[in-house]
Amino acid sequence: MAALHQGWAIQTRVIQALIIRELTTRFGRENIGFLWVMAEPLLFAVLVGLLWRFEKGPQEHGVSIIAFVATGYLPLVMFRSTVQRAMGSFSANSSLMYHRQVKILDLILVRFFVEMIGHMMAYLFIATVFYALDEFPWPHDFGYLLLGWSYYALFTLTLATIVAPLSEMSEVLEKVMPVTTYLMVPFSGAFFMAEWLAPDVKAAVLWSPPVHAMEMMRYGVFGDAVYPHFSFVYTPAWCLPVLMVGLMLCRHVRRVMMVE
Amino acid sequence: MIRCSGLVKSYSAGHRRKIVLGGVDLEIGRGQKLGLLGRNGAGKTTLIKLIGGVELPNAGRIERKMTVSWPLGFGGGFQGSLTGYDNARFIARIYGRNYRDIQDFIEDFTELGRQLAMPVKTYSSGMRARLAFALSLAIEFDCYLIDEVIMVGDQNFQRKCHEEIFVKRADRALILASHSVDFIRQYCDMALLIDKGEASVKGDIDEAIALYSNL
Repeated sequence: MAALHQGWAIQTRVIQALIIRELTTRFGRENIGFLWVMAEPLLFAVLVGLLWRFEKGPQEHGVSIIAFVATGYLPLVMFRSTVQRAMGSFSANSSLMYHRQVKILDLILVRFFVEMIGHMMAYLFIATVFYALDEFPWPHDFGYLLLGWSYYALFTLTLATIVAPLSEMSEVLEKVMPVTTYLMVPFSGAFFMAEWLAPDVKAAVLWSPPVHAMEMMRYGVFGDAVYPHFSFVYTPAWCLPVLMVGLMLCRHVRRVMMVE
Repeated sequence: MIRCSGLVKSYSAGHRRKIVLGGVDLEIGRGQKLGLLGRNGAGKTTLIKLIGGVELPNAGRIERKMTVSWPLGFGGGFQGSLTGYDNARFIARIYGRNYRDIQDFIEDFTELGRQLAMPVKTYSSGMRARLAFALSLAIEFDCYLIDEVIMVGDQNFQRKCHEEIFVKRADRALILASHSVDFIRQYCDMALLIDKGEASVKGDIDEAIALYSNL
Protein backbone atom coordinates (compact mmCIF):
# COMPACT_ATOMS: atom_id res chain seq x y z
CA MET A 1 0.00 0.00 0.00
CA ALA A 2 2.83 2.36 0.89
CA ALA A 3 4.53 1.49 -2.41
CA LEU A 4 1.32 2.23 -4.29
CA HIS A 5 0.97 5.56 -2.52
CA GLN A 6 4.58 6.49 -3.28
CA GLY A 7 4.16 5.45 -6.92
CA TRP A 8 1.08 7.64 -7.19
CA ALA A 9 2.97 10.59 -5.66
CA ILE A 10 5.82 10.14 -8.16
CA GLN A 11 3.45 9.86 -11.13
CA THR A 12 1.52 13.02 -10.24
CA ARG A 13 4.81 14.87 -9.78
CA VAL A 14 6.08 13.61 -13.12
CA ILE A 15 2.87 14.48 -14.95
CA GLN A 16 2.88 18.00 -13.50
CA ALA A 17 6.50 18.48 -14.58
CA LEU A 18 5.72 17.12 -18.04
CA ILE A 19 2.72 19.41 -18.45
CA ILE A 20 4.84 22.45 -17.59
CA ARG A 21 7.49 21.23 -20.01
CA GLU A 22 4.93 20.65 -22.76
CA LEU A 23 3.43 24.11 -22.28
CA THR A 24 6.82 25.85 -22.31
CA THR A 25 8.03 23.98 -25.40
CA ARG A 26 4.83 24.55 -27.30
CA PHE A 27 3.91 28.07 -26.32
CA GLY A 28 6.99 29.63 -24.74
CA ARG A 29 6.82 32.34 -22.12
CA GLU A 30 6.26 35.26 -24.50
CA ASN A 31 2.99 37.26 -24.61
CA ILE A 32 -0.04 35.20 -23.52
CA GLY A 33 2.03 32.01 -23.12
CA PHE A 34 0.03 28.94 -22.28
CA LEU A 35 -3.29 30.69 -22.93
CA TRP A 36 -2.58 29.93 -26.58
CA VAL A 37 -3.72 26.43 -25.77
CA MET A 38 -7.31 27.67 -25.84
CA ALA A 39 -6.84 30.21 -28.64
CA GLU A 40 -7.02 27.78 -31.53
CA PRO A 41 -10.17 25.89 -30.49
CA LEU A 42 -11.74 29.22 -29.51
CA LEU A 43 -11.18 30.73 -32.94
CA PHE A 44 -12.43 27.59 -34.62
CA ALA A 45 -15.67 27.40 -32.67
CA VAL A 46 -16.45 31.12 -32.74
CA LEU A 47 -15.76 31.63 -36.44
CA VAL A 48 -17.63 28.52 -37.57
CA GLY A 49 -20.44 29.42 -35.19
CA LEU A 50 -20.72 32.94 -36.64
CA LEU A 51 -20.58 31.55 -40.18
CA TRP A 52 -23.51 29.26 -39.47
CA ARG A 53 -25.30 32.04 -37.63
CA PHE A 54 -25.27 34.27 -40.72
CA GLU A 55 -25.96 31.43 -43.09
CA LYS A 56 -28.84 29.77 -41.26
CA GLY A 57 -30.24 32.34 -38.86
CA PRO A 58 -30.19 32.46 -35.05
CA GLN A 59 -31.81 29.11 -34.34
CA GLU A 60 -32.04 25.59 -35.65
CA HIS A 61 -34.55 23.06 -34.36
CA GLY A 62 -35.29 25.51 -31.57
CA VAL A 63 -31.78 25.90 -30.12
CA SER A 64 -29.28 28.74 -30.49
CA ILE A 65 -27.11 27.93 -33.46
CA ILE A 66 -23.93 29.43 -32.03
CA ALA A 67 -24.33 27.37 -28.86
CA PHE A 68 -25.05 24.29 -30.94
CA VAL A 69 -21.92 24.71 -33.07
CA ALA A 70 -19.69 25.50 -30.08
CA THR A 71 -20.90 22.51 -28.06
CA GLY A 72 -20.28 20.26 -31.05
CA TYR A 73 -17.08 21.67 -32.40
CA LEU A 74 -14.98 21.92 -29.25
CA PRO A 75 -15.05 18.24 -28.25
CA LEU A 76 -14.49 17.29 -31.89
CA VAL A 77 -11.44 19.55 -32.21
CA MET A 78 -10.15 18.17 -28.90
CA PHE A 79 -10.42 14.68 -30.31
CA ARG A 80 -8.73 15.61 -33.58
CA SER A 81 -5.81 17.47 -32.08
CA THR A 82 -5.20 14.85 -29.39
CA VAL A 83 -5.06 12.07 -31.95
CA GLN A 84 -2.89 14.20 -34.23
CA ARG A 85 -0.48 14.96 -31.39
CA ALA A 86 -0.42 11.35 -30.21
CA MET A 87 1.14 10.34 -33.50
CA GLY A 88 4.88 10.06 -33.22
CA SER A 89 4.79 11.29 -29.62
CA PHE A 90 6.96 8.41 -28.41
CA SER A 91 9.87 8.95 -30.77
CA ALA A 92 9.64 12.73 -30.40
CA ASN A 93 9.99 12.38 -26.63
CA SER A 94 12.20 9.32 -26.44
CA SER A 95 14.90 11.25 -24.59
CA LEU A 96 12.55 11.36 -21.61
CA MET A 97 13.04 7.62 -21.25
CA TYR A 98 16.41 8.51 -19.71
CA HIS A 99 14.48 9.11 -16.52
CA ARG A 100 13.02 5.90 -15.21
CA GLN A 101 10.14 7.55 -13.37
CA VAL A 102 8.76 8.80 -16.71
CA LYS A 103 6.54 6.04 -18.09
CA ILE A 104 5.58 5.67 -21.73
CA LEU A 105 1.91 6.26 -20.91
CA ASP A 106 2.80 9.62 -19.32
CA LEU A 107 3.75 10.89 -22.77
CA ILE A 108 0.22 10.25 -24.07
CA LEU A 109 -1.50 11.39 -20.88
CA VAL A 110 0.32 14.71 -20.85
CA ARG A 111 -0.57 15.66 -24.41
CA PHE A 112 -4.13 14.52 -23.78
CA PHE A 113 -4.43 16.59 -20.59
CA VAL A 114 -3.06 19.70 -22.30
CA GLU A 115 -5.59 19.37 -25.12
CA MET A 116 -8.44 18.57 -22.79
CA ILE A 117 -7.74 21.47 -20.43
CA GLY A 118 -7.31 23.86 -23.37
CA HIS A 119 -10.57 22.83 -25.00
CA MET A 120 -12.51 22.86 -21.74
CA MET A 121 -11.20 26.35 -21.02
CA ALA A 122 -12.32 27.43 -24.49
CA TYR A 123 -15.73 25.85 -23.86
CA LEU A 124 -16.10 27.69 -20.57
CA PHE A 125 -14.96 30.94 -22.15
CA ILE A 126 -17.37 30.73 -25.09
CA ALA A 127 -20.25 29.66 -22.88
CA THR A 128 -19.66 32.60 -20.53
CA VAL A 129 -19.30 35.23 -23.26
CA PHE A 130 -22.29 34.03 -25.28
CA TYR A 131 -24.38 33.57 -22.15
CA ALA A 132 -23.79 37.25 -21.50
CA LEU A 133 -24.85 37.97 -25.11
CA ASP A 134 -27.92 35.76 -24.65
CA GLU A 135 -26.78 33.29 -27.32
CA PHE A 136 -25.95 30.44 -24.91
CA PRO A 137 -28.42 28.95 -22.42
CA TRP A 138 -27.70 28.34 -18.74
CA PRO A 139 -26.92 24.58 -18.68
CA HIS A 140 -29.94 22.47 -17.92
CA ASP A 141 -27.98 19.83 -15.95
CA PHE A 142 -24.26 20.03 -15.16
CA GLY A 143 -24.18 16.32 -14.33
CA TYR A 144 -25.06 15.27 -17.88
CA LEU A 145 -22.74 17.91 -19.32
CA LEU A 146 -19.74 16.72 -17.29
CA LEU A 147 -20.49 13.04 -17.74
CA GLY A 148 -20.76 13.59 -21.50
CA TRP A 149 -17.41 15.42 -21.49
CA SER A 150 -15.84 12.59 -19.52
CA TYR A 151 -17.15 10.03 -21.99
CA TYR A 152 -15.89 12.07 -24.93
CA ALA A 153 -12.52 12.46 -23.21
CA LEU A 154 -12.37 8.73 -22.48
CA PHE A 155 -13.00 7.98 -26.15
CA THR A 156 -10.30 10.49 -27.14
CA LEU A 157 -7.76 9.01 -24.73
CA THR A 158 -8.62 5.48 -25.90
CA LEU A 159 -7.96 6.34 -29.51
CA ALA A 160 -4.74 8.15 -28.56
CA THR A 161 -3.38 5.03 -26.82
CA ILE A 162 -4.06 3.07 -30.01
CA VAL A 163 -2.75 5.63 -32.48
CA ALA A 164 0.46 6.52 -30.62
CA PRO A 165 2.00 3.02 -30.62
CA LEU A 166 0.66 2.15 -34.09
CA SER A 167 2.28 5.28 -35.52
CA GLU A 168 5.64 3.96 -34.27
CA MET A 169 5.03 0.60 -35.90
CA SER A 170 3.86 1.77 -39.33
CA GLU A 171 4.39 4.92 -41.32
CA VAL A 172 1.22 4.39 -43.33
CA LEU A 173 -0.84 5.53 -40.37
CA GLU A 174 0.58 9.03 -40.55
CA LYS A 175 -0.65 9.33 -44.14
CA VAL A 176 -4.15 7.95 -43.59
CA MET A 177 -4.91 9.49 -40.19
CA PRO A 178 -5.91 13.02 -41.34
CA VAL A 179 -8.45 11.68 -43.84
CA THR A 180 -9.71 9.18 -41.26
CA THR A 181 -10.38 11.87 -38.66
CA TYR A 182 -12.10 13.87 -41.42
CA LEU A 183 -14.31 10.94 -42.36
CA MET A 184 -15.08 10.51 -38.69
CA VAL A 185 -16.77 13.91 -38.53
CA PRO A 186 -20.28 12.56 -39.32
CA PHE A 187 -19.77 9.95 -36.58
CA SER A 188 -18.71 12.50 -33.98
CA GLY A 189 -22.21 13.74 -33.37
CA ALA A 190 -20.98 17.33 -33.64
CA PHE A 191 -23.41 18.74 -36.20
CA PHE A 192 -26.72 17.08 -35.50
CA MET A 193 -28.93 15.53 -32.87
CA ALA A 194 -29.59 11.88 -33.68
CA GLU A 195 -33.30 12.64 -33.41
CA TRP A 196 -33.15 14.88 -36.50
CA LEU A 197 -31.88 12.05 -38.73
CA ALA A 198 -33.72 9.42 -40.74
CA PRO A 199 -34.24 6.22 -38.69
CA ASP A 200 -31.64 4.06 -40.46
CA VAL A 201 -29.03 6.86 -40.39
CA LYS A 202 -29.81 7.40 -36.73
CA ALA A 203 -29.27 3.72 -35.99
CA ALA A 204 -25.95 3.86 -37.85
CA VAL A 205 -24.52 6.87 -36.02
CA LEU A 206 -25.51 5.43 -32.65
CA TRP A 207 -22.91 2.71 -33.18
CA SER A 208 -20.33 5.43 -32.68
CA PRO A 209 -19.35 5.97 -29.02
CA PRO A 210 -18.73 9.76 -29.25
CA VAL A 211 -22.28 10.30 -30.52
CA HIS A 212 -23.62 9.02 -27.17
CA ALA A 213 -21.23 11.33 -25.31
CA MET A 214 -22.24 14.28 -27.47
CA GLU A 215 -25.97 13.67 -27.07
CA MET A 216 -25.46 13.54 -23.32
CA MET A 217 -23.54 16.84 -23.31
CA ARG A 218 -26.17 18.50 -25.50
CA TYR A 219 -28.91 17.33 -23.16
CA GLY A 220 -26.90 18.74 -20.26
CA VAL A 221 -26.78 22.12 -22.00
CA PHE A 222 -30.12 22.42 -23.81
CA GLY A 223 -32.31 20.22 -21.65
CA ASP A 224 -35.77 19.48 -23.01
CA ALA A 225 -35.24 21.70 -26.05
CA VAL A 226 -33.57 18.63 -27.57
CA TYR A 227 -34.53 14.98 -27.54
CA PRO A 228 -31.30 13.04 -26.88
CA HIS A 229 -30.44 9.41 -27.63
CA PHE A 230 -27.71 7.90 -25.51
CA SER A 231 -26.78 4.94 -23.41
CA PHE A 232 -24.87 5.27 -20.16
CA VAL A 233 -22.97 2.04 -20.70
CA TYR A 234 -22.23 1.99 -24.43
CA THR A 235 -19.29 4.43 -24.50
CA PRO A 236 -17.36 2.93 -21.54
CA ALA A 237 -18.21 -0.60 -22.65
CA TRP A 238 -16.71 0.20 -26.05
CA CYS A 239 -13.72 2.15 -24.74
CA LEU A 240 -12.44 -0.04 -21.92
CA PRO A 241 -11.58 -3.15 -23.99
CA VAL A 242 -10.07 -0.98 -26.73
CA LEU A 243 -8.09 0.91 -24.09
CA MET A 244 -6.70 -2.43 -22.84
CA VAL A 245 -5.52 -3.24 -26.36
CA GLY A 246 -3.97 0.24 -26.59
CA LEU A 247 -2.12 -0.22 -23.29
CA MET A 248 -0.75 -3.56 -24.49
CA LEU A 249 0.42 -1.95 -27.72
CA CYS A 250 2.13 0.82 -25.73
CA ARG A 251 3.84 -1.76 -23.57
CA HIS A 252 5.03 -3.63 -26.63
CA VAL A 253 6.40 -0.49 -28.25
CA ARG A 254 8.21 0.45 -25.02
CA ARG A 255 9.94 -2.95 -24.95
CA VAL A 256 11.35 -2.60 -28.45
CA MET A 257 11.88 1.16 -28.35
CA MET A 258 15.31 2.37 -29.31
CA VAL A 259 16.48 5.47 -27.50
CA GLU A 260 19.41 7.41 -28.85
CA MET B 1 23.23 -3.17 -4.88
CA ILE B 2 22.37 -3.71 -8.53
CA ARG B 3 21.99 -7.25 -9.78
CA CYS B 4 21.56 -8.18 -13.44
CA SER B 5 20.85 -11.76 -14.38
CA GLY B 6 20.68 -13.21 -17.86
CA LEU B 7 20.33 -9.92 -19.70
CA VAL B 8 19.67 -10.44 -23.39
CA LYS B 9 19.31 -7.58 -25.84
CA SER B 10 18.91 -7.91 -29.57
CA TYR B 11 17.92 -5.46 -32.26
CA SER B 12 16.23 -6.26 -35.53
CA ALA B 13 18.53 -5.68 -38.47
CA GLY B 14 16.56 -6.18 -41.66
CA HIS B 15 15.17 -9.70 -41.51
CA ARG B 16 17.65 -10.97 -38.99
CA ARG B 17 18.16 -10.10 -35.36
CA LYS B 18 21.50 -8.92 -34.15
CA ILE B 19 22.22 -10.13 -30.65
CA VAL B 20 24.18 -7.47 -28.80
CA LEU B 21 24.14 -8.96 -25.34
CA GLY B 22 23.61 -12.68 -25.03
CA GLY B 23 23.02 -13.24 -21.32
CA VAL B 24 24.96 -10.92 -19.05
CA ASP B 25 25.16 -11.46 -15.29
CA LEU B 26 26.66 -8.92 -12.98
CA GLU B 27 26.38 -7.60 -9.48
CA ILE B 28 27.66 -4.35 -8.09
CA GLY B 29 27.47 -3.27 -4.47
CA ARG B 30 27.64 0.13 -2.82
CA GLY B 31 30.85 1.96 -3.48
CA GLN B 32 32.13 -0.53 -6.04
CA LYS B 33 33.57 0.75 -9.30
CA LEU B 34 32.99 -1.34 -12.39
CA GLY B 35 34.74 -0.62 -15.67
CA LEU B 36 33.20 -1.83 -18.94
CA LEU B 37 35.70 -2.80 -21.60
CA GLY B 38 34.96 -3.73 -25.17
CA ARG B 39 35.54 -2.67 -28.73
CA ASN B 40 33.36 -0.14 -30.52
CA GLY B 41 29.89 -1.62 -30.95
CA ALA B 42 30.51 -4.42 -28.45
CA GLY B 43 27.50 -3.34 -26.38
CA LYS B 44 28.94 -1.19 -23.58
CA THR B 45 26.48 1.63 -24.15
CA THR B 46 23.63 -0.85 -24.60
CA LEU B 47 24.42 -2.43 -21.24
CA ILE B 48 24.53 0.98 -19.58
CA LYS B 49 21.17 1.86 -21.13
CA LEU B 50 19.65 -1.37 -19.83
CA ILE B 51 20.98 -0.81 -16.31
CA GLY B 52 19.70 2.77 -16.45
CA GLY B 53 16.29 1.55 -17.61
CA VAL B 54 16.41 3.64 -20.80
CA GLU B 55 15.88 0.57 -22.96
CA LEU B 56 14.42 -2.71 -21.80
CA PRO B 57 16.05 -6.15 -22.13
CA ASN B 58 14.48 -8.89 -24.26
CA ALA B 59 15.09 -11.31 -21.42
CA GLY B 60 16.62 -11.24 -17.97
CA ARG B 61 16.12 -9.25 -14.81
CA ILE B 62 17.58 -6.11 -13.32
CA GLU B 63 17.19 -5.45 -9.61
CA ARG B 64 18.08 -2.01 -8.34
CA LYS B 65 18.43 -1.72 -4.58
CA MET B 66 20.11 1.69 -4.76
CA THR B 67 19.36 4.85 -6.69
CA VAL B 68 20.88 4.80 -10.16
CA SER B 69 21.58 7.88 -12.27
CA TRP B 70 20.47 8.19 -15.86
CA PRO B 71 23.29 7.31 -18.28
CA LEU B 72 25.65 10.24 -18.66
CA GLY B 73 26.96 10.55 -22.16
CA PHE B 74 26.76 13.15 -24.88
CA GLY B 75 23.18 12.53 -25.93
CA GLY B 76 19.92 12.02 -24.17
CA GLY B 77 18.12 13.31 -21.16
CA PHE B 78 17.62 16.86 -22.43
CA GLN B 79 14.99 18.75 -24.34
CA GLY B 80 16.93 20.72 -26.94
CA SER B 81 14.39 23.49 -27.38
CA LEU B 82 14.35 24.32 -23.66
CA THR B 83 17.01 26.41 -21.94
CA GLY B 84 19.58 24.98 -19.56
CA TYR B 85 17.64 26.47 -16.65
CA ASP B 86 14.34 24.98 -17.84
CA ASN B 87 15.94 21.57 -18.20
CA ALA B 88 17.32 21.93 -14.68
CA ARG B 89 13.87 22.88 -13.38
CA PHE B 90 12.34 19.89 -15.12
CA ILE B 91 14.92 17.46 -13.72
CA ALA B 92 14.53 18.95 -10.23
CA ARG B 93 10.75 18.49 -10.47
CA ILE B 94 10.74 14.88 -11.62
CA TYR B 95 13.36 13.86 -9.05
CA GLY B 96 11.50 15.72 -6.33
CA ARG B 97 14.25 18.25 -5.53
CA ASN B 98 13.90 21.92 -4.79
CA TYR B 99 15.21 23.82 -7.80
CA ARG B 100 16.55 26.71 -5.68
CA ASP B 101 18.75 24.27 -3.77
CA ILE B 102 20.50 22.94 -6.86
CA GLN B 103 20.63 26.12 -8.95
CA ASP B 104 23.79 27.51 -7.36
CA PHE B 105 25.65 24.24 -7.71
CA ILE B 106 24.71 24.02 -11.40
CA GLU B 107 25.82 27.58 -12.13
CA ASP B 108 29.02 27.04 -10.24
CA PHE B 109 29.88 23.63 -11.72
CA THR B 110 28.98 24.27 -15.35
CA GLU B 111 30.50 27.79 -15.51
CA LEU B 112 28.15 28.36 -18.43
CA GLY B 113 27.01 31.78 -17.22
CA ARG B 114 24.38 33.43 -19.39
CA GLN B 115 24.45 30.48 -21.79
CA LEU B 116 22.25 28.64 -19.28
CA ALA B 117 19.40 30.90 -20.38
CA MET B 118 19.80 29.72 -24.00
CA PRO B 119 18.22 26.61 -25.56
CA VAL B 120 20.30 23.47 -25.00
CA LYS B 121 20.35 22.76 -28.75
CA THR B 122 22.73 25.72 -29.14
CA TYR B 123 25.27 24.07 -26.78
CA SER B 124 28.43 22.33 -27.91
CA SER B 125 28.76 18.70 -26.85
CA GLY B 126 31.21 19.73 -24.16
CA MET B 127 28.74 22.21 -22.75
CA ARG B 128 26.00 19.59 -22.72
CA ALA B 129 28.33 17.26 -20.89
CA ARG B 130 28.92 19.90 -18.23
CA LEU B 131 25.19 20.42 -17.76
CA ALA B 132 24.39 16.70 -17.65
CA PHE B 133 27.13 16.11 -15.12
CA ALA B 134 26.15 19.03 -12.96
CA LEU B 135 22.50 17.92 -12.86
CA SER B 136 23.24 14.33 -11.94
CA LEU B 137 25.67 15.46 -9.24
CA ALA B 138 23.11 17.89 -7.88
CA ILE B 139 20.43 15.19 -7.64
CA GLU B 140 22.88 12.79 -5.88
CA PHE B 141 22.70 9.10 -6.74
CA ASP B 142 24.13 6.00 -5.09
CA CYS B 143 25.39 4.74 -8.42
CA TYR B 144 26.47 6.73 -11.46
CA LEU B 145 26.37 5.37 -15.00
CA ILE B 146 29.00 7.10 -17.07
CA ASP B 147 30.18 6.84 -20.63
CA GLU B 148 33.80 7.90 -20.59
CA VAL B 149 33.43 10.12 -23.65
CA ILE B 150 31.65 12.61 -21.45
CA MET B 151 34.75 13.13 -19.37
CA VAL B 152 36.85 14.14 -22.34
CA GLY B 153 36.29 17.83 -21.75
CA ASP B 154 38.84 20.57 -21.27
CA GLN B 155 41.43 20.40 -18.48
CA ASN B 156 39.39 22.42 -16.05
CA PHE B 157 36.30 20.22 -16.56
CA GLN B 158 38.29 17.01 -16.20
CA ARG B 159 39.76 18.28 -12.95
CA LYS B 160 36.29 19.15 -11.61
CA CYS B 161 34.81 15.80 -12.63
CA HIS B 162 37.66 14.01 -10.95
CA GLU B 163 37.19 16.01 -7.78
CA GLU B 164 33.40 15.58 -7.61
CA ILE B 165 33.20 11.92 -8.62
CA PHE B 166 36.32 10.26 -7.34
CA VAL B 167 37.15 12.38 -4.31
CA LYS B 168 33.94 13.84 -2.88
CA ARG B 169 31.81 10.86 -3.91
CA ALA B 170 34.33 8.09 -3.39
CA ASP B 171 31.67 6.13 -1.49
CA ARG B 172 29.36 5.90 -4.51
CA ALA B 173 29.15 3.04 -6.95
CA LEU B 174 30.14 3.66 -10.52
CA ILE B 175 29.68 1.87 -13.82
CA LEU B 176 32.01 3.34 -16.37
CA ALA B 177 32.37 2.49 -20.05
CA SER B 178 35.81 3.27 -21.33
CA HIS B 179 38.39 2.55 -23.99
CA SER B 180 41.21 3.80 -21.85
CA VAL B 181 42.84 0.91 -20.00
CA ASP B 182 44.85 3.34 -17.88
CA PHE B 183 41.69 5.04 -16.76
CA ILE B 184 40.07 1.74 -15.75
CA ARG B 185 43.24 0.55 -14.03
CA GLN B 186 43.38 3.77 -12.04
CA TYR B 187 39.76 4.05 -10.90
CA CYS B 188 37.98 0.71 -11.07
CA ASP B 189 38.14 -2.29 -8.78
CA MET B 190 36.54 -4.71 -11.19
CA ALA B 191 36.03 -4.92 -14.92
CA LEU B 192 33.52 -6.41 -17.30
CA LEU B 193 34.82 -7.43 -20.69
CA ILE B 194 32.18 -7.52 -23.43
CA ASP B 195 33.00 -9.40 -26.60
CA LYS B 196 30.64 -10.93 -29.19
CA GLY B 197 27.66 -10.69 -26.84
CA GLU B 198 29.48 -12.55 -24.06
CA ALA B 199 30.50 -10.79 -20.90
CA SER B 200 32.02 -11.80 -17.62
CA VAL B 201 33.07 -9.85 -14.56
CA LYS B 202 36.74 -10.03 -13.65
CA GLY B 203 37.77 -9.10 -10.16
CA ASP B 204 41.30 -8.90 -11.47
CA ILE B 205 41.60 -5.73 -13.54
CA ASP B 206 44.94 -6.70 -15.07
CA GLU B 207 43.56 -9.98 -16.35
CA ALA B 208 40.60 -8.18 -17.99
CA ILE B 209 42.91 -5.62 -19.54
CA ALA B 210 45.19 -8.33 -20.89
CA LEU B 211 42.20 -10.09 -22.50
CA TYR B 212 40.95 -6.79 -23.89
CA SER B 213 44.32 -5.97 -25.39
CA ASN B 214 44.33 -9.29 -27.22
CA LEU B 215 40.95 -8.73 -28.90
